[in-house]
Amino acid sequence: MGSGIWSTDVYAAAASYRAASGASAFAYSDSGARTVHDDLNPYGVAARESRDSDEHPATVAVAVLFDVTGSMGGVPRTLQTKLPDLLGLLLRKGYAADPQILFGAIGDATCDRAPLQIGQFESDNRMDEDLGKILLEGGGGGQRTESYELAMYFMARHTSLDCFEKRGRRGYLFIIGDELPYPKVKRREVGKVIGDSLGRDITTEEIVAELTRIYDVYYILPAGSGYAGDSHTLAAWRKLLGQNVLELDDLDAVCETIALTVGLGEDAIDLDQGLGDLGDLGSAAGAAVGRALARLERGAPVVGGELDLRGGSGVIRL
Amino acid sequence: MSEHVIVVDLGYGDAGKGTVVDWLCAQGPVQAVVRFNGGGQAGHNVVLPDGRHHTFAQFGSGTLRGVPTHLSRFMVVDPLALASEAAHLAGLGVPDPFGLLTVDRDALLATPYHVAAGRARELARGADRHGSCGMGVGETMAYALGHPGLGPTVGDCEDPALLTRKLRALREALGVTGPAVEDCVAAYRAFAERVALVDSSYTAALLRGRPVVFEGAQGVLLDEWHGFHPHTTWSTTTFANALALLDGVPAVRLGVLRTYTTRHGPGPLVTEDPELEAAEAHNADGPWQGPFRVGHFDAVAHRYALAVAGGADALALTHLDAPVSRMCVSYDIGELPAGPPGDLDRQARLTGRVLRARPRYAGGIGAGDWPAAVADALGVPVCLGSAGPTVADKVRLSSVIAPERV
Repeated sequence: MGSGIWSTDVYAAAASYRAASGASAFAYSDSGARTVHDDLNPYGVAARESRDSDEHPATVAVAVLFDVTGSMGGVPRTLQTKLPDLLGLLLRKGYAADPQILFGAIGDATCDRAPLQIGQFESDNRMDEDLGKILLEGGGGGQRTESYELAMYFMARHTSLDCFEKRGRRGYLFIIGDELPYPKVKRREVGKVIGDSLGRDITTEEIVAELTRIYDVYYILPAGSGYAGDSHTLAAWRKLLGQNVLELDDLDAVCETIALTVGLGEDAIDLDQGLGDLGDLGSAAGAAVGRALARLERGAPVVGGELDLRGGSGVIRL
Repeated sequence: MSEHVIVVDLGYGDAGKGTVVDWLCAQGPVQAVVRFNGGGQAGHNVVLPDGRHHTFAQFGSGTLRGVPTHLSRFMVVDPLALASEAAHLAGLGVPDPFGLLTVDRDALLATPYHVAAGRARELARGADRHGSCGMGVGETMAYALGHPGLGPTVGDCEDPALLTRKLRALREALGVTGPAVEDCVAAYRAFAERVALVDSSYTAALLRGRPVVFEGAQGVLLDEWHGFHPHTTWSTTTFANALALLDGVPAVRLGVLRTYTTRHGPGPLVTEDPELEAAEAHNADGPWQGPFRVGHFDAVAHRYALAVAGGADALALTHLDAPVSRMCVSYDIGELPAGPPGDLDRQARLTGRVLRARPRYAGGIGAGDWPAAVADALGVPVCLGSAGPTVADKVRLSSVIAPERV
């Protein structure tokens, strides 16, 4: 029955889309907030710490930062509904004994209100509260670059990980986005957003070299974002991170992809076992995860990451 | 149900695609309902056993069962109508209708300016109306084709500066009034922030999950190239768009028909018979489309629909409860030959012949005989029968649609 029974009133529609109805988990963002929540503000933060405790004696730090600018479309919202599953997935299968998870969001320091938002490393569901406080920027510069390098600078110089400092095991950092980093960490932006005084700009290559001493860094390009499948973006990230650049064609599988990557890195499983585990859990994500991680599959067992104080760039222990 | 299914109407629309999609979504887990043609002018009625009723225009007809909707790149999307439809769904108890939606950024945007222009054009035709739904879908397609790259798309909603330029140009080109461009841009931006916009690769990801139901709009006899020109819609109403989205992944092609043939508004209806007193709960006369008309089952027209659609794997037959007993088995002018797409002069000539055609009837078809009679007349098995608006009124007649996964 062709019809036009639904009203097309422009003002009612705008109000309806703006109403924070439904189960939007970005409660802070949807409440009309326009500034970074105090808990996530990186300015003046000495360090976000991942520490062992009696309850969690062998912590493994897992940080997940995602791009929240406009080109990402609905991806941040989807991530927000999916990421709370990550902790359970890591624990259920024993991929990491005591995972501690930090969530953060990346904007564009050249034009956004929220260029960088960083939560805390948490061992329980408190990291979900940080997720809910993330301001969805939806802006971005539209020039295919976002301030990934600023986020990498913060993670390199303002985090402190027991897994690394006590045990010589790198943490895991996942950056989910669809654009390029700027070529340099600009001292002016570092001063404004993080509060450090730098004598000079730092090239993005330099900061990646620093960062990869402490973290295994992965870049995930999800389908459904602005530049998904864009070979230019992929090539640029591969130059920085080698094979740790993953294309994920099913965003619903983001937690499984992260969990299996950690499981592979922690030498807990090989890819086939991991995909088998997903089947056991009733997850439909196996195919997408298998494709995303195919580049990481290898015959040899993982070599534990010894402390590499020479700071070789883009250390990959795969 | 273990296979992807494409649901298409083999008549002039209104055969019951919504109720069939609802039934499919009740058979087992469905990944998503994908819309692949038309836009906000669709009106697919679904009634749940508890009496809740919704006329689906852009949301898929599985929404009341919690099945997500994907609006593919072939759709003409009207975010304003989408919002009011979502509000009604929320009132029926759907927790977060916007959360069930994904929209392809490449889909065209139907705006208030397109609607105004379409209605002005239809009014100017006077007595010679085509039967527009007044939702601006045709105008949207026409403008996008006539102004390559300038037709606003869903993806433009994320780029207010670009969208503002496109809407100003559109408003000027169509010479219409309407709400201020800034107000439209604000609403579209809110839409883009609230609803997940995706790229065309999203469909492939959907197809790797559970079965997907492709829900067609309008009917094959209204197809832009194969329908009876000019009484057609600006959209491909065959299986073609769905098959393009499937990109080689197999799916069951399911044609939907009533036990009698109907149409909204002007155009051929060879078997028209005002004496037919069919109960039409949801099909009122539309202010833009004109009257709702009824006729006997027109096997010739539906065979033509099958021919231009490239055949179907199975049929769903609705309105088995209707008091009808005659079927048009042939025309005095013979069968209707399918032609190549793109030849509208040929289609207009065909329309002229059809308007002069006389039906020949076979009678005495009893209530229980319809599925066999239709399968026999069209050469396609009838796998689903429906004798009422809800799932409880449906009966599976053969297993062309495979039994659901255990």
